[in-house]
Amino acid sequence: MRAMNEHAVSLRAPLISGGRTIAQVTEDVCAPMEGRPTALWWGAFLASFALLLLGVAAVSYQVATGIGTWGLNRTVGWAFDITNFVFWIGIGHAGTLISAILFLLRQRWRTSVNRAAEAMTIFAVLCAAIFPLIHMGRPWFAYWVFPLPNTRGSLWVNFRSPLLWDVFAISTYFTISAVFWYVGLLPDLATVRDRLKTGLRRRVFAFFSLGWNGSYRTWHHYESVYLLLAALGTPLVISVHSIVSFDFATSLIPGWHTTIFPPYFVAGAIFSGMAMVLTLMIIARTTMRLENYITVRHVDIMAKLVLTTGSLVGLAYATEFFIAAYSNNPYEQFVFINRAFGPFAWAYWTMVACNVITPQLFWFERVRTNLAAVFVLSLFVNVGMWFERFVIIVTSLHRDYLPSSWADYTPTSIEVATLIGSFGLFFTCFLLFCRFLPVIAIGEVKAVVAHDRHAKGGGQ
Amino acid sequence: MSKDVKHYWTSLDRREGATGMAPGPEFEVPTADDFRTSRRGFLAAAGFGLAGSAIAGCSRAPVEQALPFLIQPEAIVPGRATYYASTCGACTAGCGLLVKTRDGRPIKLEGNPDHPLSRGGLCAVGQASILPLYDSQRLTGPLQQGQAASWAQVDGAIAAALTAARDAGRPVRLLTGTITSPTTRAAIDRFLSGFPGSEHVVYDTLSTSAVLDAHERTHGVRVLPRYRFDRADVILGIDADFLGTWIAPVEYTAGYRAGRAPGDQPARMSFHAQVEARLSLTGARADRRLVVAPGEYHLVLAHVANRVARLAGVAPLVEPLAPAPVAEAVIEDLGERLWQARGHALIVCGSHDVALQLLANSLNHLLGAYGATIDLERPSFQRQGSDRALERLVAEVAGGSVGALIIAGVNPVYELPGGATFAEQLRKVPLVVSFSSHLDETASVAGFVCPDRHSLESWSDTESAAGVVSVTQPTVSALGDTRPMIESLAIWSGVPRPAYELLREHWQAQVYPRRLAADTSFEAFWEKAVHDGFVEVAPSVPAVRAFTAVPLAPPPAAAREADALALVLYPKVAMLDGRGGLNPWLHELPDPITKVTWDNYACLSPSTAARLNLDDGDVVRVQAGEGVSLELPVCRQPGQHDDVVAIALGYGRLGSERFAQVGPRWFEARPTVGDNGRVGQNAAPLAALADGMWRYSGVPARVTPAGRRRPLAQTQSHHEISVPAHLAPPGGGRRPIVQETTLAAYVKDPSAGSHGHGEAAEDLWPPDHQYTGHRWRMVIDLTKCTGCSACVVACQVENNVPVVGRDEVMRRREMHWMRIDRYYADGPDGSVDVIQQPMLCQHCENASCETVCPVLATVHSEEGLNQQVYNRCVGTRYCANNCAYKVRRFNWFEYPREDRLQNLVLNPDVVVRSRGVMEKCSLCVQRIQDAKVEARRQGRPLEDGEARTACQQSCPAQAITFGDANDPGSRVAHLLHDPRHFRVLEELNVKPSVGYLTLVRNRPGDGGEGGGNASHE
Repeated sequence: MRAMNEHAVSLRAPLISGGRTIAQVTEDVCAPMEGRPTALWWGAFLASFALLLLGVAAVSYQVATGIGTWGLNRTVGWAFDITNFVFWIGIGHAGTLISAILFLLRQRWRTSVNRAAEAMTIFAVLCAAIFPLIHMGRPWFAYWVFPLPNTRGSLWVNFRSPLLWDVFAISTYFTISAVFWYVGLLPDLATVRDRLKTGLRRRVFAFFSLGWNGSYRTWHHYESVYLLLAALGTPLVISVHSIVSFDFATSLIPGWHTTIFPPYFVAGAIFSGMAMVLTLMIIARTTMRLENYITVRHVDIMAKLVLTTGSLVGLAYATEFFIAAYSNNPYEQFVFINRAFGPFAWAYWTMVACNVITPQLFWFERVRTNLAAVFVLSLFVNVGMWFERFVIIVTSLHRDYLPSSWADYTPTSIEVATLIGSFGLFFTCFLLFCRFLPVIAIGEVKAVVAHDRHAKGGGQ
Repeated sequence: MSKDVKHYWTSLDRREGATGMAPGPEFEVPTADDFRTSRRGFLAAAGFGLAGSAIAGCSRAPVEQALPFLIQPEAIVPGRATYYASTCGACTAGCGLLVKTRDGRPIKLEGNPDHPLSRGGLCAVGQASILPLYDSQRLTGPLQQGQAASWAQVDGAIAAALTAARDAGRPVRLLTGTITSPTTRAAIDRFLSGFPGSEHVVYDTLSTSAVLDAHERTHGVRVLPRYRFDRADVILGIDADFLGTWIAPVEYTAGYRAGRAPGDQPARMSFHAQVEARLSLTGARADRRLVVAPGEYHLVLAHVANRVARLAGVAPLVEPLAPAPVAEAVIEDLGERLWQARGHALIVCGSHDVALQLLANSLNHLLGAYGATIDLERPSFQRQGSDRALERLVAEVAGGSVGALIIAGVNPVYELPGGATFAEQLRKVPLVVSFSSHLDETASVAGFVCPDRHSLESWSDTESAAGVVSVTQPTVSALGDTRPMIESLAIWSGVPRPAYELLREHWQAQVYPRRLAADTSFEAFWEKAVHDGFVEVAPSVPAVRAFTAVPLAPPPAAAREADALALVLYPKVAMLDGRGGLNPWLHELPDPITKVTWDNYACLSPSTAARLNLDDGDVVRVQAGEGVSLELPVCRQPGQHDDVVAIALGYGRLGSERFAQVGPRWFEARPTVGDNGRVGQNAAPLAALADGMWRYSGVPARVTPAGRRRPLAQTQSHHEISVPAHLAPPGGGRRPIVQETTLAAYVKDPSAGSHGHGEAAEDLWPPDHQYTGHRWRMVIDLTKCTGCSACVVACQVENNVPVVGRDEVMRRREMHWMRIDRYYADGPDGSVDVIQQPMLCQHCENASCETVCPVLATVHSEEGLNQQVYNRCVGTRYCANNCAYKVRRFNWFEYPREDRLQNLVLNPDVVVRSRGVMEKCSLCVQRIQDAKVEARRQGRPLEDGEARTACQQSCPAQAITFGDANDPGSRVAHLLHDPRHFRVLEELNVKPSVGYLTLVRNRPGDGGEGGGNASHE
């Protein structure tokens, strides 16, 4: 019996370690919200906020002066702007994957990370949405991309334009993600509400918990809605980045005009998003003392996902080269030779090193379970995925059909500051989230804890 | 209320009244109750105020001073352009103009298609010469010792000084550039006749003095012959950039293109060989280009001449000879071709060396060119300068004997090699008068500046070739208190007359008697001349005598200092001698060969640059002569001789400091001017004026790195039509963008060079557009196009294209809607082939830009135009990214248009774009509409050739054809079926509306060497 139990345990290690009780779970998760913020939090917050202010200054200057303050030119019309956009959208995908697809697939390990991952999704989409807005020559007319009824006769938007598809895809994505996140928060908001005695915070939490009373009916409705939203969110994981990839795939620029782009982009998005989740979770786990909830096992599973998607991305890189060679299209061939050996070869090889070579280390369990190593490698993947988008956008544009128009691209200080500012925004939002909302889905984790205890105590 | 009201008295009487007498009118101090407003009243007032402020806030630009005409002028219809025939005053070539005016102000210069010399063409410099009219830094009145003065003061002082000079027995000197105006020449003669010992000294900075001197020796008259390129079947050019900068490029291009028409009936294809040291625009068009050091031109021509002499059976012209610096076979081939084409051969030589010009004359005589391809009976008056006379004058001024020096149309302090010294020595001259319209280098040291008028403000005439007299008429009243030079001269001669009367009188006395139609009255003759812009009269025949053989000196031994390069100073297409140096359009016009803007630079051949370990943009110190040196960035120039350093003239003008303000201002912006505060540097001090010869080339120069960098603002940074060799895909790196073939192959198969092109495979889908009405299409003949860039400026003027400055060009953001792509390719025998391809919006039928715009800011018209809707554009730039031709231009900033006077040149038919919107070629939709409206007004269908784009209108080579492809009789419809017709990147199936005709080079071969199109099949 004991051996059998051990066997069972070795088959299914507990998702939550440390033998935490249900009450302890609530205490652990609510602790960072209820105490005073640590010096570490303040330091991180002020640093992030400073970066955010830098970005705000850069964007203000750019909007006041003109897009010319970016390093773009008549040949390279997009560079940092759309790179950052696709990068942040990609980051968001892991959150949706974890919260929606893994929920439908009954991957219970997700419960420890789904809340933070969803928050990451929302903040990443927020960061992403800034770029299509500010990259416009006249951002004050950005609302023209919406099909608003107007008095200008038949003036309408262009439904053939992938940018318009983007508008719908991103706004849908943001809405669903936000609603899904909020609905998932409801039981926890109520928990926090009940722990607070009086004051403004209690009233705020009371308002946002929508009168949650924890009854069977409430839970039942909640579970149904959550399941439905998960089902709604699932196709978005595939569709949003597919549509983003259409910005490139439906064009006629060699290096963009590729049918492989939708799956390639989706794999890349999950790859980068998982890496970002790893980065954030390892930080959160250490700084907020959540070692019992975000365990090495979680890290191990996510590292495997990174390995899988990273290999898919590597396969996509190889496929692009093969198709270029096989197509016998000289423009296509040139773009890929130019990528690897042209003026932006450094960016290309940075991308390959970070995205193809780095994740291969995750074949080794010793690497996957070494948090420091995983942390460093996840940073590499983040860098690599940013460069992937940069390489796709800039190297394809800068040397296209007519050699007379070839041009190089160098970012200006404003562009760099804007990129830094987007990280500032992301981390500012994330730190505020850590401070004011439960970073772990208390209700869901309790279910996992209970299951384990039940399995242990009841005997089988 | 009444009880509590205090009664105040307004006067003592009233007070009395208040105290018992009759009550007077009283006034009450209002209390708070009186201000009570009803709720309705408040809402009404608030509503009114809100609406009022909203309405006030809605007006974006208040109308200022919109004054209607009090009396409507008869000829002016608001909104309709009026055209006046006139003559271009930008250089001495005297091309015919049609000045487009709107509401009384000239806004564009177009070529006059009827003009017998320019035949409808107008070069970039001519096109741009409208901008100086609206130059706010032009002098608005006369200056005396640098201070503003009245004309009366200035006239009095000058008359007194002139009398003093005459009384002192010191001669008066009038120093001008070539004066092509017979009236002005007569006025000068009248003026100078009052001063004994006076002399009119003429010089041309871009001197052809040697040509005139040589003809004086061989034909007895010091004239510039009229070169008839239209009659030449074999052309040998020696250092003469006749399609770009030499004498009259528009006239010569018009002649040259007549001989380069392999597709016409009957077909003609001249053979053009060019001998030169640097790659000129003309050399880039040559069928065979011989790269020869400047000291060896003479030797090469002597070898060719001897070869022709042998074929002609006469004694060799020059002996003895050193071996030729080019292959013997090449000389033989050239000699053979020239001799075969005798009577239709032409040698033009741009050398400043009389000895070489004498050899050229002798060879031309031997080939029977005189009377055939060279017209001495009706010579040209476009250049009359004499280097020898100039040198004499400089010596006189240095000697201090000159009593008065009057300078018109030239800028010797800037242009002369010893300009700074000359400026010093001018102090010895008691009276120095400048007619300059700007405070230029010479005017700023002159005692008096009497600003002459812009040619668009004045009456004048031009006889640039004997028998063709053109009229210049004012199209706007003078914008400042300026005065035509002939009026000034008349006043100083004591017989003040308006320029108009002087002109009419001279015409009545001198031009009218030469009329061809005997039975016209003078009034009719004059009216017709003013209406047409020119009149053809009997040439005043110079006393040309038959060719006299002169002893020909053997070519000088090429003396070359070790480790020194030969300096070549050349006029650049836009700058010429510096007359374009204050014109931002011309500064931003990329050089047709190097594609550099806003700077001059030292051109070195790539191998020399490699030897000196220099790259583009490395600054070098170029030292020529004693102590004269310049620091310039390097530009590596393929096709240039290894022993040559070439520098453009015309830069570093005083007054170009103004361009420090050009372009957007933001914290990373770099200034347009250089370290000296000016645009480029003046290379004239490197030249030499000695022994009656202005030497621009061959002066030994030392080039040493200066250890700094000044990157060049180039609009094109990759120069080959092939991709870089180390990145080339397996099939080869040459891109099939330009089709080219050889004449031999073309004769065999008119579609030679177009293998792999042709209509794309059938579409699965029905066409998106039906084009039931007009269908605008354009065809550009690459065989005719010389790359002169006139179209680029024409487009800029027509479409209000902004100037963005050097920094923006370096950031690759130039705004030109029309650009000329220049590619180098490997030619035969290691030479460099140059391809010039005008590139503009291709107006694709399946336009890739149209599908991707999220807000439908770029749409297809029913007539095949791809239209950009500026006020709908939000600036995503997706359209530009997705354009295979990269012809779209984005307004990265609000480009400054702060000079309100200069803004008068803006075309009111074309919107000025704000920042953040995309723009591009519209195929001059406003001109199409104009033509359509005019045809409709007259109740007739639009005829072919009525709607002409700006680029087409001014093209001196008439390489551009535009029209309605749905009209089967149109020229463009005809050309669409030419076997040479192809479209760039046809395989993308975007179906451009703009097509090209294959470039045909007159050289042997089957076309495979240059085609390159088959390599990807």
